[in-house]
Amino acid sequence: MQIFKLFKRDSWVRPFLKKYRRSLILALFLGFMTYFCAAALMFNSGYLISRAAALPENILIIYVPIVLTRAFGIGRPVFRYAERLTSHNWVLRLTSRLRLKLYQTLEQDAVFFKSHHQTGDVLGLLSNDIDHLENLYLRTVFPTITAWSLYVFIIIGLGWFSWWFGLAMLLLFAIIIFVFPLWSLLANAARQEQQKVLKNQLYTELTDNVLGVSDWIFSQRTKEYLTAHLANEQHLAYVRQTLQKFDHRRDFLVQVVFGLLTVVLLGWTSFRFPGSHGGAANWIAAFVLAIFPLVDAFAPLSQAAEETNIYQDSLQRLNQLTLTESGQPPMDQTIPALKGPLTLEVQQLDYQYPATAQKALAGLSLTIKSGERLAILGRSGSGKTTLAHLLRGDLKPTAGQVALNGVATWQLNPEISQYIGVLHQSPYLFHTTLSNNLRLANEQATDQQLWNALERVGLKQLVAKLPAGLATEVDEAGLRFSGGERHRLALARILLQNVPIVILDEPTVSLDPITEQELIETINQQLAGKTLIWITHHLQGLSLMDQVVFIEDGRLQMSGSPQELAIHNQHYQKLLAIDRGI
Amino acid sequence: MIDKKLLTFPRIRLVLVLLLGLAGLQAASILGQACFLAKAITDLWAGQALSEQWQWIGFFVLCYLLRHLILWRKEDLLDSYSRQQAQRLRQELLSKVFEQGPSLIQGQGTGNVTTMALEGIDQVEKYLRLILAKSTTMMVVPWLILAVIWYLDWRSGVFLLIIYPLIVIFMIVLGYAAQAKADRQYHTYQLLSNHFVDSLRGIDTLKYLGLSQRYARSIFKTSERFRRATMSTLKVAILSTFALDFFTTLSIAVVAVLLGIRLVDGTILLFPALTILTLSPDYFLPIRDFSNDYHATLDGKNALTAINQILAVKTTEITKVSLPAWNDQSQLTISQLDFAYPQQSKSLQQLNFQAIGFQKIGIIGLSGSGKSTLINLLGGFLKPQSAQIKIAGQELASFAQPDWQRQLIYIPQNPYIFRASLRDNIAFYQPQATTAQVEQAVKVVGLERLVAQLPAGLDTQIGEGARALSGGQAQRIALARAFLDQSRKILLFDEPTAHLDIETEVELKERMLPLMTDHLVFFATHRLHWMQEMDWILVIDQGKIVEQGTLAQLQQQHGAFVQLSRSLRSV
Repeated sequence: MQIFKLFKRDSWVRPFLKKYRRSLILALFLGFMTYFCAAALMFNSGYLISRAAALPENILIIYVPIVLTRAFGIGRPVFRYAERLTSHNWVLRLTSRLRLKLYQTLEQDAVFFKSHHQTGDVLGLLSNDIDHLENLYLRTVFPTITAWSLYVFIIIGLGWFSWWFGLAMLLLFAIIIFVFPLWSLLANAARQEQQKVLKNQLYTELTDNVLGVSDWIFSQRTKEYLTAHLANEQHLAYVRQTLQKFDHRRDFLVQVVFGLLTVVLLGWTSFRFPGSHGGAANWIAAFVLAIFPLVDAFAPLSQAAEETNIYQDSLQRLNQLTLTESGQPPMDQTIPALKGPLTLEVQQLDYQYPATAQKALAGLSLTIKSGERLAILGRSGSGKTTLAHLLRGDLKPTAGQVALNGVATWQLNPEISQYIGVLHQSPYLFHTTLSNNLRLANEQATDQQLWNALERVGLKQLVAKLPAGLATEVDEAGLRFSGGERHRLALARILLQNVPIVILDEPTVSLDPITEQELIETINQQLAGKTLIWITHHLQGLSLMDQVVFIEDGRLQMSGSPQELAIHNQHYQKLLAIDRGI
Repeated sequence: MIDKKLLTFPRIRLVLVLLLGLAGLQAASILGQACFLAKAITDLWAGQALSEQWQWIGFFVLCYLLRHLILWRKEDLLDSYSRQQAQRLRQELLSKVFEQGPSLIQGQGTGNVTTMALEGIDQVEKYLRLILAKSTTMMVVPWLILAVIWYLDWRSGVFLLIIYPLIVIFMIVLGYAAQAKADRQYHTYQLLSNHFVDSLRGIDTLKYLGLSQRYARSIFKTSERFRRATMSTLKVAILSTFALDFFTTLSIAVVAVLLGIRLVDGTILLFPALTILTLSPDYFLPIRDFSNDYHATLDGKNALTAINQILAVKTTEITKVSLPAWNDQSQLTISQLDFAYPQQSKSLQQLNFQAIGFQKIGIIGLSGSGKSTLINLLGGFLKPQSAQIKIAGQELASFAQPDWQRQLIYIPQNPYIFRASLRDNIAFYQPQATTAQVEQAVKVVGLERLVAQLPAGLDTQIGEGARALSGGQAQRIALARAFLDQSRKILLFDEPTAHLDIETEVELKERMLPLMTDHLVFFATHRLHWMQEMDWILVIDQGKIVEQGTLAQLQQQHGAFVQLSRSLRSV
């Protein structure tokens, strides 16, 4: 079966099985004991009252069964409680590992994450795949292995009395343990596949449209969308209904087999244990009554098997993720800390995105000395942001080199964040308190330092006015704050991070010119002495830069100090005029 | 036993009556099954031949089959009922979400909303199915069984009756403890769900801060915290199951022992004793089933509460006012408009202004001055605390009017691009537009180069996760939407070019201006050069209109506008 094949190549679940093996075995053992005690209780009770009905001369004769009855009666709930705790704990530990692994897998590709994954997809992965794997264990693996061990025990036990009857029971039980589960698995594979596909589609589609909700409202097409969505939903409901119907019919048939088992057992015991008012006949009730508690152990197996179809896909998807996502392999050799003034050297840099025809950057050379303030200008799409990724070493040059004091930056990852900070276009605020958000940059920062940083970016007043101050919770994606405020908070983070080189990747786009100018001045004051690489398409504040370079279509077009350009360069003059407005 | 919230569900009473009837039948078949089996075993024990027992065995099999047939029928009934109810709830939830719009979604989190609409409602469906089945069985089956046991042997009957309230008391006490814990766990679960997605969303920021690798520990720690929270809930939640399990199994053991002792005395015979022993697990089965699924139903119950909370968000009843289509004579007067965000100091105070015909109104101010808030009010996403709004002679309380919104096109700083084809994105407001019309829109807004680059032209999938577009391109798509729908005569722009480079801005401006003619335009920006194109300018500072007039007037007055533009230009 495919699930077993998948499991063989799996790199998501198997490694963790070894990690927590002892509690795994314990959980399985406890599961076995639960059902053993349940069956033994009825077996023993059946014998007890039959024996008692045979009117023994002395009550001591039934003393042992009486004690055993109580022991099994207490044993069952105790084992069951312990089993559930052990198995849940085991599974949740596995879940933590899986989440961690999912995060780490995606982290390799963090900077380009958004263009590769739709947030809805990841949500789907999270809540479906990992939860499914949780259930795979709780609902399928544990019960199945427990039932199998019971099966072996029962067959050996009955075989000891009579080998041919053992063989008959082996076959009858096999119907419940193997035939029905296999049938469920095969008969429903296609339907379940369809159910899964529909569900994933619904997730992706709903997330997309919830994000674009204002357009639906304005276009007054919400009814239309809701109708379409509910139609899809209904399609899913129909598939689910078919599955449910199948399950109910199958469950009925499983019960029929149990009925048959009871009758066969009754027949066999009446031959095997003949007697009159007692004697061997005391065992009849024991054997027949013991069958009922076993229904609980065996009946759910088919449903459990059927569900593996769902898990199979999750397992596959997670495993594929590992293969496609592995970006740069982590560097094994540690690079010694860079010392002294840091110079960024760009030499004949070419970069071409995979599967594109054109070079995003071509033949670019630049030297950025320590403490220099460089502006990189160009329209969107000209390759400025690509250059920023290359400077920080998030991309590896196709040809040429970007080196920090002679070490290629792409080899410096992740240590690069000690040298280069980035304030980028869409800084993210996490759904936690403001102070937590700021402390991401510097975990040791005191409240005083946080307030300082806020003051430097001009947010002190605003935060002080918030009801909970620094402890204010930031809403999803920081929507409580305006675009400008979000950028300023991110700048405060950069200030706290305290790195020698800062790349400003169009950070001030959403600020109004006055604040922008003030902020640029702040940046210049606060980051004085540090290397600034300012990627922009606005002209605001360029006068503060030492050097301006223009990039167009991936090539360096012009460069010079802002003063030189304003006097000699026509294009620059024209842009200045537009920027002035009226 | 059954949540009061459920009793408000349509047709619930009919379903309950049906289920109770089926439970009665089920009890009868359980009784028959036990009696006939006990009879056969007793006779065999007494030394009779198997061949004489066929009739009893036959009756046993009949009862047994009947019992499971009833179960089958019941499941089908429950499935279809809970499915219908889930569909109804989902429809209500999504209608609410799409009616309330961004404010609701922002508060709940996109992940939460989608999870609630899909997983949450599935959990409610399951909850409904379980709770109805289990509670109706519990109301009927044990009592009929007890009656028969009482008839066979009143002493066992008394014992079983007394033990039952004990079990229930334990269950309730422990159930409350579990409930309190589960409520907390639900919150943790939401936090965790958001925490993980939140971390994935901000993963690039984490990387830039050099934290992304270390942050993995936080993911793990949060998850482990979740595990501990779940385990401590489970310890309590299944403690009630344990107590129940313990009492029921021990009761069966006690019944067996008592019967055994009295059999030795000869005060009872094997047949009633065996029947009682066979029936006692079935006596406890319903309550065990009920509690087994108890913590599974908690999820559904919690989800239902969360969904009800959203459904309870008040829709301020809008008295719909029918408004004529905006034309060159129409008039809009806003006076004494006040607005404040809940729990925030930002607000708009005492706005007064007028718009006539196809005026172009510039709204200029620094960021945070209240420009966007004003645009959101005009779009009807926010409702003023108080205002006198008059459109074409009609008084309105807010702009959340279908007849008003129908005439609007809203172009924000970052227009949302759906994960759909370029064509569908462009034709979003006019889905029935022809290819020729879409192509013309493409030409008007200058998207030809993009269309030529895309592998499947207009039919290429764009949007998040598909093909990412630049800010300028997204803006052009929004403009194309506006161009396609010429029936919408009111354009709301919220800083549409603030994040674009100057060169793109200039190009876009050339495309935008022709689209603005014959439209009422509200244009919020801080870019001065747009003011040359405006017929009327509102200067906003700290939530107030500090000055308004034509550009020429404002330049003459040497007031707030001149000050603003001077400071904008001084840099």
